[in-house]
Amino acid sequence: MRRHLPSLALLLALLAGWEVMVRLAGISALVVPAPSAVFAVLWSGLVSGFLWQHIWVTGAETLLGFALGCSIGFVCGVVLGEVEPLRRLLWPYVLATQVVPKLALGPIFIIWFGFGMTSTVVITALICFFPLLENTMTGLQTATLEKRDLFRMLGARRWQTLLRLKIPSGLPIIMAGVRVANVLALVGAVVGEFIGGSEGLGASIIAAQGMMDSTLMFALFITITAMGLLFYQFTLLLERWLLRGWLKGAVS
Amino acid sequence: MSTDAAFFSVDQVSYAYDDGTAVLCGIDWSIPAGAFHCLVGRSGCGKTTLLKLAAGLLQATEGVVWIEGQTVRGPSPKVGFVFQTPALLEWLSVIDNVLLPISLRRRVQAADRETAIELLELVGIADLAKRHPGQLSGGQQSRAALARALVASPPALLMDEPFAALDAITREELQDDLLRLIALRRTTVMFVTHDIAEAVYLGDRVAVMDQGQIALDASIDLARPRDSDCRYDPHFTAHCLKIRAAMTPKTAEAA
Repeated sequence: MRRHLPSLALLLALLAGWEVMVRLAGISALVVPAPSAVFAVLWSGLVSGFLWQHIWVTGAETLLGFALGCSIGFVCGVVLGEVEPLRRLLWPYVLATQVVPKLALGPIFIIWFGFGMTSTVVITALICFFPLLENTMTGLQTATLEKRDLFRMLGARRWQTLLRLKIPSGLPIIMAGVRVANVLALVGAVVGEFIGGSEGLGASIIAAQGMMDSTLMFALFITITAMGLLFYQFTLLLERWLLRGWLKGAVS
Repeated sequence: MSTDAAFFSVDQVSYAYDDGTAVLCGIDWSIPAGAFHCLVGRSGCGKTTLLKLAAGLLQATEGVVWIEGQTVRGPSPKVGFVFQTPALLEWLSVIDNVLLPISLRRRVQAADRETAIELLELVGIADLAKRHPGQLSGGQQSRAALARALVASPPALLMDEPFAALDAITREELQDDLLRLIALRRTTVMFVTHDIAEAVYLGDRVAVMDQGQIALDASIDLARPRDSDCRYDPHFTAHCLKIRAAMTPKTAEAA
């Protein structure tokens, strides 16, 4: 905690400076609202329950999309990593799809899945899919030749080599993919709501824009940032738990 | 070639890469059960290839490899392999690494754990059983790898320069540990090294390999058990010199 004190002090100083600037210069609340006004709106939103409903929707979309995208990406990564001919066949397409801006597919998903949660979940899942696919494929190749020979000498079956050598060897790389997916998931959910949502924090930003309510928009930014930080911490905990064996080795 | 007493026997074995480059040409060799044979040679002479053929990790282009009279077509459970690097799994504790050969085959039982602990005691790292490989020194990792190779009590061990990366003192300690362990179990060993003194100290017989062929077959008649005094015996030095001479390329002599 002590370590973070200077950072916290900096934040408070910046907020205070911002407040003073806005008041002294008489900047319109439409352009840049004062932090005090933003926190007041944030507080009333939390107390009245207005924000919670949107937090719930965005949170659910993010988590669902993240879980779906990561699991499908992982499974596909394992299949492509294990089946060499399939990998050779599909690798150029995997590379090509990396370049496609996934969010640009939003409008077509709205045609397919309609406005609302489904489209947003699909966009989020698609964004999370690729980092997992690529990192799982790469991760599975990291076990050294000696370790693979060791498993052959010990008469390990293919699935044993996969579960007990290749996946654990690649886990640090796979988890790096999960961390990337984590950050992208919230972006996917919020922007997905921009395009096709009627509920959620992203949709609320668009609604606030319609009402020229900059103060509310800032309050929503803060909410989204807080959610992102929380989600990231959760992933770090998950990573630390999954890599506990690895981490023990690194302590020395 | 396949005599009854031989554990390994290699009959007119050749091996070439896919592009036709020959690595081994018509090797004949046999190792009686319980014997300790060393293969020495310079880098690229084909000694590791011969070891991998005996292990069943590679298939001979020509000729046959037998283990106890049966043709080798793939890795055999009768053979343990020790690699150039310890090749421990970083995410498992030392004891779980040692138990790997058993846990891949069946459920680990209390008796297996006892065997593993006993082996770790014999190699002197029983107190590190719960640690992870990253917390061990290079010598301790090599000891763990040795315990892992022996835990399922294979009748034979194939060793590919297992101590090459260690400092001189640690290497001598591990050589003594190895001799003690295999004497207890009467394990047959084929040991690849580029260190002449190591080969003479460990082996009953030393084969010198050069350009894919066996250039010298030397029987080492030093008494067992051997200890560090034996390393300074004139007899020991004589063996080393003879092997050293066989390792010098013929082209260099002509020049």
